[in-house]
Amino acid sequence: MVFVVMRILPGDPLVAIFGPEGMSKLTEEQRAHFMKDLGLSDPLWVQYFAWVKDILAGNFGRSFFRSESVADMILRRGPLTAEIALLSVLISWVVGIPVAILSALRPNSIADSVVRFVSILFLAVPGFWIGMLIVLGLLFWFGYRAPMAGASLFVDPVANLQLIIGPAVVLGLGQAAYIARMARSSLLEVIREDYVRTARAKGLNGRLVISLHALPNAMLPVITLSGVLMGLVLAGSIPVERAFGTPGLGYAMFTAVSERDVFVMQNLVFLYAVVFVGLNILVDLAIALLDPRIRYQ
Amino acid sequence: MTVIHPTDPILPVAPSRLRNVMTAVRRFFRKAPLSAFWGCIAAAIVIMSVAAPVIAPYPPLKSDFRAMQKPPDEKHWFGTDQIGRDTLSRVIYGSQASLLVAFGAVLFGTTLGALWGLACGYFGGRFDMISQRLIEFLQSFPDLILAMAIAMALGGGLGTVIVAIAVTRIPFGGRVIRSVVLSLKEMQYVEAARGLGASHKRLMFRHILPQCVAPYLILATTHLGVAIVIEASLGFLGVGIPPPNPTWGNMLSDALNSGLIPPWWLVFFPGAAITLTVLAFNLLGDGIRDMLDPRLRGSV
Repeated sequence: MVFVVMRILPGDPLVAIFGPEGMSKLTEEQRAHFMKDLGLSDPLWVQYFAWVKDILAGNFGRSFFRSESVADMILRRGPLTAEIALLSVLISWVVGIPVAILSALRPNSIADSVVRFVSILFLAVPGFWIGMLIVLGLLFWFGYRAPMAGASLFVDPVANLQLIIGPAVVLGLGQAAYIARMARSSLLEVIREDYVRTARAKGLNGRLVISLHALPNAMLPVITLSGVLMGLVLAGSIPVERAFGTPGLGYAMFTAVSERDVFVMQNLVFLYAVVFVGLNILVDLAIALLDPRIRYQ
Repeated sequence: MTVIHPTDPILPVAPSRLRNVMTAVRRFFRKAPLSAFWGCIAAAIVIMSVAAPVIAPYPPLKSDFRAMQKPPDEKHWFGTDQIGRDTLSRVIYGSQASLLVAFGAVLFGTTLGALWGLACGYFGGRFDMISQRLIEFLQSFPDLILAMAIAMALGGGLGTVIVAIAVTRIPFGGRVIRSVVLSLKEMQYVEAARGLGASHKRLMFRHILPQCVAPYLILATTHLGVAIVIEASLGFLGVGIPPPNPTWGNMLSDALNSGLIPPWWLVFFPGAAITLTVLAFNLLGDGIRDMLDPRLRGSV
């Protein structure tokens, strides 16, 4: 599918590399030579199988513009983006769920209205814009700027945290808005159920009823949603990493796009899709494990 | 999914359509004043973009070399950029690109998806199965990434951005309308029409399609906001509508490229415009959804 999108669609990769002007300066022979060099003159199905073979062999090809192979790039930059994604999910839960409990316990109160308005606002704000504002604000008021170079979690945890905290907060708050909305409505539904009323009737205090009886059941749709939102995080990390200048995989994707680096782009898109689908399968399995009503044969 | 009853007052009835629309609008204002207020803001933004040449104080591409990178003052309310173009005018003109892309993409994508969903739900069987696999395929990419890949493969420009975003909207239209059609198909009035010997075409377009209007409208308004955000992200990443034509996304990208420290007014105003527009369309969509089908609250 990725292959189809990137290759069969009209658009000459050579135009992308040399630009329309450079293209017109190439002779027919040079063109044929470059096409052959890149393996682009074979029939499409030959190219396709060559690509599948490469992927299966773990060979992700190299960039047109850099000597680094794509596999190296993924290994070097991937962890940073993975950390950002994980931390952002954590933030979205830590922020979203307490807020949802607050507003579900007193529906239509002032707190509830504030929470709902803020979450609607966060659904509308583009994350990369908030990112740019944060970078500017920190620079303006505190003269602070996150380090530019990549840093590993194990070698230099402080620098690493400085790099990932910004994007993770922005992406996390974006998700928190969805999480809060979903958790609120599913809590409101669960609270009306008989077993919650029973728990209350036998004299448990309100806090216990919510945290032990209502919350676990209300969490199931929230977990599912978190899986769906991974798409938002993976895709959102591209502009957000650009806004923060974080040297992660999202930034690599941005560079590939702006350099029209078709091969890198194709493989990164493929990687993102695989990760996204894989995570959703994991979420489905987790739900099946947590919810005895769901059983896969 | 839900079933829309034929007696719902919102569904278009053939005679005096205009009066029905007027009543619906009036009812909307009475029942959901907040959404109606945001609807007015959305309408104001649309009018602003259409009337951009009249409203904008300066031409969006004209450089004034005596006023380069000036902070906001009374001559340039939103300041100017590195080559002295007026930011306010560029923000106003930028709305044209955003709205064109959003409406175009939703119109093409959601409509195509809806018709596809109609066919899937109606015919079922092998056609449905293959279609569902195709839709799952499309959905296995996060939408921004799919849009990026398509926009990059086709090369930048207004048309390609619309196509790229439209493709990402197809699965949503397909899924929602298909499930509506699945439950409509079993209803007695459809069976009655089939019993009377109506053709497939007549059943699909005369009897089932009109009932899909409400979910379609809800879906389309909610996805306008999403489309605007994707358009801005594409512009920000440099695969959207190329400069010098202003879009909110490529203005932000320009600001970031302008040096180590981008001036705050070049960052603040385009982003605020995106936020306000998306907020207006989302809240309008919420209001429309609550009015057409309260049972869908919080689900689409």
